[in-house]
Amino acid sequence: MSVIAPKFRLGYLVKGITDNIFWIIVLLTLIGIPVVQIVLIYIDFPVIDGEIWNPFRVFDAMTHPERALPLVKNFMQTDLFKVVAFPGFGFAALIAATVIFVERKMLAKLQLRIGPFYCGKVEGILQLMADGLKLISKEIIIPAKADKPLFWAVPVLFAATAGAFVALIPVAPGWVVADIDLGLLAVFAVIGFFPIITVLAGWASNSKFPFIGGIRALYQMVSFEIPLILSLLGIVMLTGTLNLSEIVESQVNFPWIIFMPIGAIVFFICILAELERIPFDLPEAESEIVAGWLTELSGMMYGLVQLGSYLKLYAFAALFVVLFLGGWNGPWVYPIEPIAEVITDGIVIMPDALVIKDIPGLPLLPQEMINGTIWFILKTAAVIFFILLPRGVFPRVRIDLLLKIGWYKLIVLAFVNIFIALALVYSGIIGPGGIL
Amino acid sequence: MVDTLFLGIAVLTIVSAIAALEMRSLIYGGLALMGTLGGIAGFFILLDSPFVALFQIAVYVGSIAVLILFVIMLVKRELIFQKKEDPKRRYAGIGLMLIIMISLGAVIFNSGISSITTDEPSVDYREIGKDFLTYYWPALVVMALVLSSSITGALVLARRHDGVEDEQRTD
Repeated sequence: MSVIAPKFRLGYLVKGITDNIFWIIVLLTLIGIPVVQIVLIYIDFPVIDGEIWNPFRVFDAMTHPERALPLVKNFMQTDLFKVVAFPGFGFAALIAATVIFVERKMLAKLQLRIGPFYCGKVEGILQLMADGLKLISKEIIIPAKADKPLFWAVPVLFAATAGAFVALIPVAPGWVVADIDLGLLAVFAVIGFFPIITVLAGWASNSKFPFIGGIRALYQMVSFEIPLILSLLGIVMLTGTLNLSEIVESQVNFPWIIFMPIGAIVFFICILAELERIPFDLPEAESEIVAGWLTELSGMMYGLVQLGSYLKLYAFAALFVVLFLGGWNGPWVYPIEPIAEVITDGIVIMPDALVIKDIPGLPLLPQEMINGTIWFILKTAAVIFFILLPRGVFPRVRIDLLLKIGWYKLIVLAFVNIFIALALVYSGIIGPGGIL
Repeated sequence: MVDTLFLGIAVLTIVSAIAALEMRSLIYGGLALMGTLGGIAGFFILLDSPFVALFQIAVYVGSIAVLILFVIMLVKRELIFQKKEDPKRRYAGIGLMLIIMISLGAVIFNSGISSITTDEPSVDYREIGKDFLTYYWPALVVMALVLSSSITGALVLARRHDGVEDEQRTD
């Protein structure tokens, strides 16, 4: 049995820890405290309840929930929270991380393998953290003849574009980072950036495999963008709006997939192609061209591109949910109204011992937001499952077959979908002034 | 706020336009062209017409620039890029540009466009759509015919003849 640290002594460990503590205390006293004091001179603290807010009152607020809760509630309405945490990056990155783990484990089960198993003892639950640490600590190798500025820019651009896509997705009523009037058009505009970034990645690496992968990605994405856009026009005709939140609100009674199954199928196939997933993973075909346009990326650059591509996967699945499956609409699985006694009498945590009473802003999140988020996550997980599933089943298609599917079949089917939508509108069934 | 934004976008547009012409590397020139087109989209947003701006991004930055990059990557650089150091042509070009800009500026400043102030809300894209379907319907029909015929033509041109496919299969 090999020993990780053969010269280990407990005394060395204690000495190391005490040394570190000593130096931390010395540096904090000599540098940290003066810096904090200088910074405090220049910061104007807001006045709350007639008293100047200072850092020590943060601890005060922690022990008094009636002061802390309104602050937290206020903070949750700010743009910063929306961008960083809930409908924005944090939420999407959490889903992306879950998707990566579930994909590995599920594919392993499909193919009668074990998959991640050792990290974290229970079914390899910590494998993702281990992979992340590995990627961060690896050296970033840049090919000698690469175009360095472009090569550095590509991972950042890819992750940023995927983040911009995520920002357009409405998760719950009112919970969307960028609620713009032309959301669907903005989605099309953002999607158009991905082929540029991939082809630049291929070109900037100055290597054969990435270049072939980049050109393939360009072919594939550009030709599947057209049926993707066309398949969504039917919904725009029926709802009469381009705002994604309004499109969700129009599906209170029935999701659009009931009336436009053809559009949904076309859109789903286009999602698979845009995400470069099997059976359309020609740009990253690992058995033909190493890793396609990702071949020369290493370390955290590869990690950023992977993060971006899984954010993109979440965003496309969420777009499918928003457009075809009714977004956050669903039966109430969460109590509709907070019980009246809770608001007036407070919550009895332990009988006769602790009663939290009259706390302003206690329903921290609106009930409909929680209910909507639950439904949204359930539907998105279902769609992501169907995106992941072909990877365990299908082989890769040839490039000419791929282009033929895109140009001959999907575009024609998308037009069929548009005619169905037109028929529904002109026969007066749905749409402005329709029966339903 | 709008003035700083306007200045920033104007500087971005003009600088990237000059860069698109002057860059030695054609790829960077293409990227600079993307910057110019994106700057024009920014102008559209400042002019309260996000509809046009988003189409500008989706069509010009997203598709046209991709085509340009694609062509640059596929064509050998020496065939299309021969640098001629000819100062006469450069000065002539600069002079021509100055003449055009001065005359255009004179026309614009004399047209009284800077004295127009309006409080009308920006035109909704739904209104444009209604106009297209009612008053301007012949133009819409002509556009639809041109577009559909070009799509069909592209499909026909891109189609492989069966003989070629069979030949490849026998290989």
